[in-house]
Amino acid sequence: MDRKESIVQVNNLHINIKMDEGILTAVRGVTFHIDRGETLGLVGESGCGKSLTCKAILAINDPKCSTSGEILFNSDDGVVDILRLPPKGSEIRNIRGKQISMIFQEPMVCFSPLYTIGNQINECTRLHITKDKKKSREISIEMMKKVGIANAEKRYDQYPHEFSGGMLQRALIAMALVCNPKLLIADEPTTALDVTIQAQILELIKELQKELKMSVLFVTHDLGTVARMCDRVAVMYLGKIVETGPVEEIYLSPKHPYTIGLIGSVHKIGSKRKERLYSIEGTVPLALNLPAGCGFYDRCQCRIDGVCNVKEPEPVEVGPNHVVSCHAVGQKTGEEGHDIE
Amino acid sequence: MVLQNVMDRNKRKEEEYYLASQWTLMRRKFKKHKLAMASLWVLGFLYFVALFGNFIAPYNLVAYNSKIVNAPPTKIHMFHEGKYIGPFVYGIKMERDPVSKRKMYIENKDEIYKIKWFTHGSEYKLFGLIKTDIHLFGVEQGGVVLLMGADSMGRDLFSRMILGSQVSLTVPFAGAIISFVLGIIIGGIAGYFGGAIDSVISRIIEVLSALPTIPLWMALSASIPPDIPVVRVYLYITIIVSFISWTGLARIVRGKFISMRKEDYIMAARIAGVSTWKIIIKHMVPGFMSYLIVSLTLGIPGMIIGETSMSFLGLGIRSPATSWGVLLQEAQEITSIAMHPWKLIPLFAVIITVLAFNFIGDGLRDAADPYK
Amino acid sequence: MRDYILKRILMFIPTVLLMSVIVFFIIQLPPGDYITSYVSRMSAEGEVFTSEDIARLREQYGLDKPWYIQYFKWMKNIITEGDFGYSFAYNRPVWTVIMSRLPLTVTVTLIIMIFTYLVSLPIGLYSALHQYSVGDFIFTGIGFLGLATPNFLLAIILMFASFKLTGDPLIGLFSEEILREGLKLSNLGSFLKHLIIPIVVIGTSNTCGVIRTIRAQMLDEITRQYVLTARAKGVSENTIIYKYCLRAALNPVVSGLAGSLSSLFSGSTISAIVMNMAILGPVLYEALKTQDMYLAGTILLTQGILVVIGTLLSDIVLAWLDPRIRYAERSS
Repeated sequence: MDRKESIVQVNNLHINIKMDEGILTAVRGVTFHIDRGETLGLVGESGCGKSLTCKAILAINDPKCSTSGEILFNSDDGVVDILRLPPKGSEIRNIRGKQISMIFQEPMVCFSPLYTIGNQINECTRLHITKDKKKSREISIEMMKKVGIANAEKRYDQYPHEFSGGMLQRALIAMALVCNPKLLIADEPTTALDVTIQAQILELIKELQKELKMSVLFVTHDLGTVARMCDRVAVMYLGKIVETGPVEEIYLSPKHPYTIGLIGSVHKIGSKRKERLYSIEGTVPLALNLPAGCGFYDRCQCRIDGVCNVKEPEPVEVGPNHVVSCHAVGQKTGEEGHDIE
Repeated sequence: MVLQNVMDRNKRKEEEYYLASQWTLMRRKFKKHKLAMASLWVLGFLYFVALFGNFIAPYNLVAYNSKIVNAPPTKIHMFHEGKYIGPFVYGIKMERDPVSKRKMYIENKDEIYKIKWFTHGSEYKLFGLIKTDIHLFGVEQGGVVLLMGADSMGRDLFSRMILGSQVSLTVPFAGAIISFVLGIIIGGIAGYFGGAIDSVISRIIEVLSALPTIPLWMALSASIPPDIPVVRVYLYITIIVSFISWTGLARIVRGKFISMRKEDYIMAARIAGVSTWKIIIKHMVPGFMSYLIVSLTLGIPGMIIGETSMSFLGLGIRSPATSWGVLLQEAQEITSIAMHPWKLIPLFAVIITVLAFNFIGDGLRDAADPYK
Repeated sequence: MRDYILKRILMFIPTVLLMSVIVFFIIQLPPGDYITSYVSRMSAEGEVFTSEDIARLREQYGLDKPWYIQYFKWMKNIITEGDFGYSFAYNRPVWTVIMSRLPLTVTVTLIIMIFTYLVSLPIGLYSALHQYSVGDFIFTGIGFLGLATPNFLLAIILMFASFKLTGDPLIGLFSEEILREGLKLSNLGSFLKHLIIPIVVIGTSNTCGVIRTIRAQMLDEITRQYVLTARAKGVSENTIIYKYCLRAALNPVVSGLAGSLSSLFSGSTISAIVMNMAILGPVLYEALKTQDMYLAGTILLTQGILVVIGTLLSDIVLAWLDPRIRYAERSS
């Protein structure tokens, strides 16, 4: 991968969490990259390590998490490895909010209830753009208008509890984008919102991405959203990326049994009425003391006993930019992708 | 095969983890709180001693001996003139300090009293039922053993402390039970009926909790008639002490009732035709039970200190009954402590008990939120 | 905001009235009255009372009526004439007895309160920011001990220690010199010296309580989502702690202000009896023992009212600190 092209390159990221019950291996060797202006969708069930991966890029994970690997970021001052920067130092703080920003899941708890929305957006501008109070206020209000907050001058001085959920998410987006970052991480930005609002917010992110020419890492468990938002998709399962490829590829010919299951479980308009919606058996296992072999083994319909439960699968390139980690696929490389029927 | 077994076990473990009931999770989390677990053992020991108090104490509450007024703790010896003769105490001899003319006690090396196990002493009823006169230990006729010295009336402080623990350790429990009942009933009435009843009850609770506790207790204790039996004094004190908790509990119960009425699952139960009482008992109370238990436990230290303070001021437990607070009355004067420092020993019993309850309360509070 | 304060002040009146009823009810609970205890004391000294004498005495003091009538009479006199009744034991109006001690009581309580917060705020903050460090363990340990030791006994131990070390047990608030010559700039040091033990004794349990509150609150706030959001913006750790966390952690401290006041009155009552301090506690104790009911009732009511005023003030400060409360008030 050409580093000049990609804005961020994550290599072999591992995150372990110390818990009372033992060490939880939440992220196990994740590798991906995001190109300039590109939107990468990170898809997976809850608990698969998506959020931890995102927060690792900003180095804002809890100190209980021990992180290894490298996260190379193409910053204003050249390529830096974010994991090597002191997590409380000024270098990383200069990246956070200014070059990489993040939108979180629940906008209602993302603002401190004690300060006005304006104060909290403004904080970002004052830190990264200008110390001038009047100017930074103008910039903040400008951004609030851009994300579609009506009556922004008045809203600027209001408190979070005076905002609705959708408005708060807009404010959160304004806060994330006010410094014109190179990379936006959107961690399930619409899960906590009403369906109608969801669509508006997604459109907004898409528009702003085009306008500001950002790269976006879009995290979700909703495949419909991915199809609408992303250029490429990385499917994550139990702390690993099991399949990655261009969005059309993944939708039209998914290779990994888990991806196939995910796509099978989405209701498609126009499908025959009697067709049952597909569901993946079982639940995501707890990543405590994981057994050897493929993490999906227990739930997989194509598992090969004696192979899949013994050795972890290696990533195999099955098409242009399309990589899968699965023994079953690896054995059939070059053949047609298998179907679940 | 083996692999299958391992995987099955893992799966079972996982299922246990996800399916464990709230109480199991609480127990598990509580066990991890080492201080709380240690405190549980300490309290277990203290309550055990209190339960068998009459048996463990060598003397009873009323036994006194004017020859040993304010005598210091007796030393337990093993060797007499270099010869091993097993645990024994010397006799006590009173002398006057040649300069200050103060009383002082010295050991009379001519008299030897052996310590005997399971010896006969004063008669008592174990657990209030079994009549017996066997005590855990004692000394031969004519001698006295004072593990913690004697008080100003020549009574054994060790025995009195153990027998006093029967009062000091049970008052908070009885108080907790009273608080619990009062809190649930009064808070429940306010929360369930709402309206005017609620505002009257809430106001009364607000006023009662605005009044400073100790002055309020003093006023209430002063109203205990002087000439009533010990058991009733005990009952009154318990009720007064329960004032520290029940208002708080009632407030919690009221709040929970109000917020739960709006909860979806209560609505669902109501629509399904479940009776009001069943909703309250089966669906609402378990929802805040852990919460109540935690705040009750955290209220107990206050009750212990409350009883001790009341009795210390002479407004609580009165003789012939005794409690740690009553014993500490003798430590009121600085001169008394300077000359008879052993009279402060009951203080350590109070501190240890209060600490233990505090730690257990902390452990329970952490455990009550098992998903955190 | 102004409406809110006004509403609070209006709610203050029924609360105080209800409090006076409850206090009066409790005060008249003991069987017998001041006359009973007075007569039994006087009889012991050889005076002879006929039952007519006793009835006349009762009538003279209005003690022959049922308690609610006595209450209404008491209330009427308070409201119309500011007369809180007559202290049988002191043979003076209750109000003059109380005024001779109230200023000192309030001064001492306020000094202790300031001390409490000056000590507990930094310690609580330190403990939270250095969780499980040696310092945290030491402070938490002292905190637990302070909460577990009944403060009147701490008083005795400290007085004993002072006696052993300096030969002066520091009993009372004033040295004999001050009592003779009055409080002057020259003997202010001696007064302050006498304040040390009361401050430590009465303030300790409260200080420990506040430390625990702040520590727990800070630890709670640090895990909030908005902290993560702020960090993701590039805000420095110090700003996060002081601008966001501490400010939020102060709310429960402010709302606990009235509780602190109440527990200070509680703690000072017994300690003052033990240490022979010239504040209201010992007077209340004596009044309760001799059934000097108007005096006891007024002291209890005064303390209660001071706590209610404390609640009022902390509510107002809280509304000023926390926009959510202001908002809820405005919209309701």
